[in-house]
Amino acid sequence: MSWKMLETSQPHVAKMIVNSIRKGRVAHAYLFEGQKGTGKKEAALLFAKRLFCLTNVHEEPCETCVNCRRIQSGNHPDVHLVVPDGNSIKKQQIEQLQEEFTKTAVESNRKLYIIEHADQMTVQAANSLLKFLEEPSTKTVAILLTEQLHRILPTIVSRCQVISFHKLPTEQIYAHLQKQGVPRELAILAARVTNNVQEAFQLSQDDWFAQARKIVIQLYEALNKQYVQALLVIQQHWLTHFTNKEQMNIGLDLLLYLYKDLLYVLLGEEQKIAYDDCMNEFQRSRFLYSEKQIAQHMRVILQAKARLHTNMNPQLLMEQLVLQLREGSAFV
Amino acid sequence: MKVIIDRDHLVRSVQDVMKAVSSRTTIPILTGIKIVASEQGVTLTGSDSDISIESFIPAEENDRVIVDVIKQGSVVLQARFFSEIVRKLPRETVEIEVKDQFVTTIRSGKTEFHLNGLDPEEYPRLPQIQEENMFQIPADLLKHVIRQTVFAVSTSETRPILTGVNWRIESSELTCIATDSHRLAMRKAKVETESEAYYNIVIPGKSLNELNKILEESNEPVHIVVTENQVLFKTKHLLFFSRLLDGNYPDTSRLIPTDSQTDMIVKTKEFLQAIDRASLLAREGRNNVVRLSTLSDKVVEISSNSPEIGKVVEEVQCEQVDGEELKISFSAKYMMDALKALEGAEIKISFTGAMRPFLIRPLHDDSMLQLILPVRTY
Repeated sequence: MSWKMLETSQPHVAKMIVNSIRKGRVAHAYLFEGQKGTGKKEAALLFAKRLFCLTNVHEEPCETCVNCRRIQSGNHPDVHLVVPDGNSIKKQQIEQLQEEFTKTAVESNRKLYIIEHADQMTVQAANSLLKFLEEPSTKTVAILLTEQLHRILPTIVSRCQVISFHKLPTEQIYAHLQKQGVPRELAILAARVTNNVQEAFQLSQDDWFAQARKIVIQLYEALNKQYVQALLVIQQHWLTHFTNKEQMNIGLDLLLYLYKDLLYVLLGEEQKIAYDDCMNEFQRSRFLYSEKQIAQHMRVILQAKARLHTNMNPQLLMEQLVLQLREGSAFV
Repeated sequence: MKVIIDRDHLVRSVQDVMKAVSSRTTIPILTGIKIVASEQGVTLTGSDSDISIESFIPAEENDRVIVDVIKQGSVVLQARFFSEIVRKLPRETVEIEVKDQFVTTIRSGKTEFHLNGLDPEEYPRLPQIQEENMFQIPADLLKHVIRQTVFAVSTSETRPILTGVNWRIESSELTCIATDSHRLAMRKAKVETESEAYYNIVIPGKSLNELNKILEESNEPVHIVVTENQVLFKTKHLLFFSRLLDGNYPDTSRLIPTDSQTDMIVKTKEFLQAIDRASLLAREGRNNVVRLSTLSDKVVEISSNSPEIGKVVEEVQCEQVDGEELKISFSAKYMMDALKALEGAEIKISFTGAMRPFLIRPLHDDSMLQLILPVRTY
């Protein structure tokens, strides 16, 4: 990652940060907000390197001096990274951070901390941090990273300079993947699931992803026939394939895109769909659902996605989803 | 890097630097010990980023070769394993050789270990020492100074600056002050210095406790250097770095009363024991409070009352009691801490009323002082 790369993907972010450094007006706290894969953490590390780099003459950090290398490997004593411990960032972690910041810096006189997934802070942790953000000591820079800005306390947001990372256009990632020889049906889905080109490429190369796509289609077909069959699909394929939350999340995303395609078909925008090979199925089922019903189905899937974070049993979650998806359609 | 070291020296040095290595650290490189071999000898460094200890093994001592440096270089080795390994090696000498990718071979007799090392470039840089801004203090005096102040630092993180001891150095006098806002400990000491520099720093209490453990009871001088971010204590072969607390220490000079209404002179040991006995019952109560009241004829009464348990009354004969009559309550724990920290067989306690802080000082010594806030009881 370099400023040049950041400039092509996130031009306004790069410009804002570079200008603030150049003019010596680095804020005490930043909130990097944007979808998964938009390069927030890379930008934060780049920012840290730029501040700490020893050969600080160019815009680009050198990546070769000890400070740059140690920031990359997580060994710099004045750069602290806080990541969720399990499901959330605990109060204790913030307290440790605060304790650390009551002392002078180890090497330079500048200190920086990065909090990843800042939305996953517990309420207590967020309130502790708030007090800490309110009274910044000189030469301290905080960078909070989040994918869900609205889940962060408004009082925290108001104390940070919010920098939004925009989504890369899906078409751009898709075009990039196609150039690398990824089959169309996988490329288009991978580009939608993540916003990071490298991650999308890895995903499209993964057998697991191709298999996941098949299972999702299978589930959809079963849903259109009989819901008992859909339950069987969940039992036999879905739960054995999507074993953790991360994977479940991708699975539900894939299902969501499938319903989105159906909506496109209904609206007559066939060129936008991702599941080309399901065209026949879509044509057949387009008369089963109204636009409103599809919207309702999509809402149900989004609800299921939200429940994923509340420690619900995955099997119950999927069964509930199937029942709800079935409910909206008429029994023919 | 390739060196052959006398095992006993290495074990001792590793033990010293291990005191700074913490198992729970967020910076991966700090789980290791840094080893640097130069012409003069071998330097070991351990750190938890708050404190760093550097131990030096000279190449020769008293005409005896301790370290044979065959090739200079450096490496970082996992502290946990390295310390165990050197302790259990069979022979008198240890050979340490670093090869490609920091794979390190440790050989002693017929034993051979291969440890995966880390890049020494990743290790935190310790500040460079400038010899001119240095002052000296004998080790045993330094230990006393630490012992007499560090107990009074605050343990709560609400005011982080109070978790440290304030060191002020001005015209070859060192003043150390620690307070947790209920009590205050102050100690002054003479230091040897060539420069006229003025320092005002706050050293974390934890660091000073560690330093106290490492220093030996001797009158060898300890060199102290204050840098921008850290303070360095230097003994013959050991360097102890500590980070400082960031912020301004509150001005405590106005807290110390200059006049007094009641003065008492008591025998330290007798008084301490009396307080200790009185606190036996008070300890069960909420805040460990004992009560002191002056009687006639240089006698003071120390009492404590815990309604559920019982009460205790003791009369203590003082050497001298001057001034107004007084009834005052205070924390027995704070009083005992203060009395234990003071030197001298007799102490002078100066009160300025039941609601004002009081001073405890050795009778003929102005270098130390303890201040305690009384407890309101009604």
